[in-house]
Amino acid sequence: MNTRIRGGLDMEGNVILRVQNLCKTFGGVKATNNVNFEMMRGELSAAIIGPNGAGKSTFFNLLTGYHAVDSGEVFFLGKNITNWPPHKITRLGIARAFQVSNIYPKLTTYENVRQAILTQQKRTLIFFTPANRLAKEETLELLEISGLSRYANTVAGILSQGDKKRLELAIALGSKPELLFLDEPTAGMSGEETYETMELVKRLNQEMGLTILFTEHDMSVVFGYARRLIVLHQGTVIAEGIPEEVRANEEVQRVYLGEEA
Amino acid sequence: MKKYGWLGLIFVSALLLPLLVGEFWIHVAVEILILGLFAVSFNMIFGYMGQLSFGHAAYYGVGAYATGLLMVKTSVPLPICLAASMIFAGLCALILGYFCVRLTGIYFAILTLAFGQLTYYIIFQWYSFTGGDDGLQGIIPPDLLFSANAYYYFTLIIVTGALFVMWLISKSPFGYTMQAIRENEERTRFIGINVRRYMLINFVIAGMFAGLAGGLWGPFNRSIAPDLCNWQQSGIPVFMTVIGGPLSFLGPMVGSVIYTFLMAFVTGFTEYWPLTIGLVIIFVVLYVPGGVLGLIAERVKVFRSKALEPAPDEYSDTGRS
Repeated sequence: MNTRIRGGLDMEGNVILRVQNLCKTFGGVKATNNVNFEMMRGELSAAIIGPNGAGKSTFFNLLTGYHAVDSGEVFFLGKNITNWPPHKITRLGIARAFQVSNIYPKLTTYENVRQAILTQQKRTLIFFTPANRLAKEETLELLEISGLSRYANTVAGILSQGDKKRLELAIALGSKPELLFLDEPTAGMSGEETYETMELVKRLNQEMGLTILFTEHDMSVVFGYARRLIVLHQGTVIAEGIPEEVRANEEVQRVYLGEEA
Repeated sequence: MKKYGWLGLIFVSALLLPLLVGEFWIHVAVEILILGLFAVSFNMIFGYMGQLSFGHAAYYGVGAYATGLLMVKTSVPLPICLAASMIFAGLCALILGYFCVRLTGIYFAILTLAFGQLTYYIIFQWYSFTGGDDGLQGIIPPDLLFSANAYYYFTLIIVTGALFVMWLISKSPFGYTMQAIRENEERTRFIGINVRRYMLINFVIAGMFAGLAGGLWGPFNRSIAPDLCNWQQSGIPVFMTVIGGPLSFLGPMVGSVIYTFLMAFVTGFTEYWPLTIGLVIIFVVLYVPGGVLGLIAERVKVFRSKALEPAPDEYSDTGRS
């Protein structure tokens, strides 16, 4: 992963993402309240957890340009990307998968993934070459990695919820990101699908060196895969650290994990 | 290429048409081709980009006036006039589209309508240059294309070429990007596409081909008028696309065949053409919402799935009855 530096030199050593004093208010509600946060290059799945409405998705939305930041700054590879539009942030090397699968329902699975790859390859302004002649190998490879090869010609809208989530992950990977945000990647999946998906996420981190940040409600996933946890409550970080430390934190237990944790 | 054999058949039939029908129907055929090109260009915005333009006639009209003015006031050859039509219509689409693509849905439709009407009034009022409400007369094609048949073949070649180029674009990475924007604008933004810029490029391409269609109209009709730009003219490709089917490339062309043929036929014995087309549109919207080509595609799919369905006794092996 360290060899895949792009978008300029990382001036802060191995810090890939730095969030400083990030704030966002909707009406009178503080959705993100002075959040400070850093991710190291190649870090595995620092998970953001928190109860519903804690501000997890908003946090992703602020980092990826979906919502405008009220105050604070976001740095990616040392570059200030605060309030950049989503397409520029994606082109710089940050991809995301949404909480509710966000795919192209009327295109085939193959076409969904190919679109992301062609965009990453900056070939979307080609006008006179049929798209089906381009990026074949890359698309098939990514479908294989994502376990979706058998659905290549299936219209994406009729895939199962789990496969749609996996497809969205494949679309995100098609952008060849350095940093990947996954918003509840296993939502709506069976136990087996959850295991397969998280093993894929683990492989992406370990074998391809991808830095991954995910939110998750399933605590077995969180504690099974994340090396570092950040706990949000009402837009504020209330705990941060390795899973054992977070599990033992009294405030976290009170607001989220419950006594049994 | 086998699956496109029927297109070759249609093209050959079109080549033979002047041998089979009289001059009146050749005029109708030219109209079908020109308005079909106009409708297909409209569908690049409606069917492929997912936005309804109610002002597409602006570019058709600008194209018509570009060719008309050049032919009446200068001695520029027709092919260059047509190229100029595409350029001027494209420039107009670039300027107006810059504002339109910032909006989507009903706001996009209203803004395109407003700009369409604005273009109409400029042409209508600019008497010294455009001829105002008198329009431009005496747009005579060159001697080689003077006869109905010659102009028909000329139009057939130009329209076929234009359709081929648009078809290539629709199958290209750019075409798929437009479909991606139509399907899910948010996701498209999050794979790294500058959605507004791509919408503008598509808007300009559609405007250029509408301009080409407009450029073909003047020499065919020998005159043009500001009405070519107004909202009623903008409604024509909408009707044609709805009738033919917006989700297939040739749907608007099929719509043009039905619309123009019906108009020629119905106006031959009654003045209630608007009533007739109104009833047709109501019927299509209620009973054939995907348009004629959409219906055919659906029937073919059902027929093929039935053909692949196992015979009843084959089910018994898998425990089904």
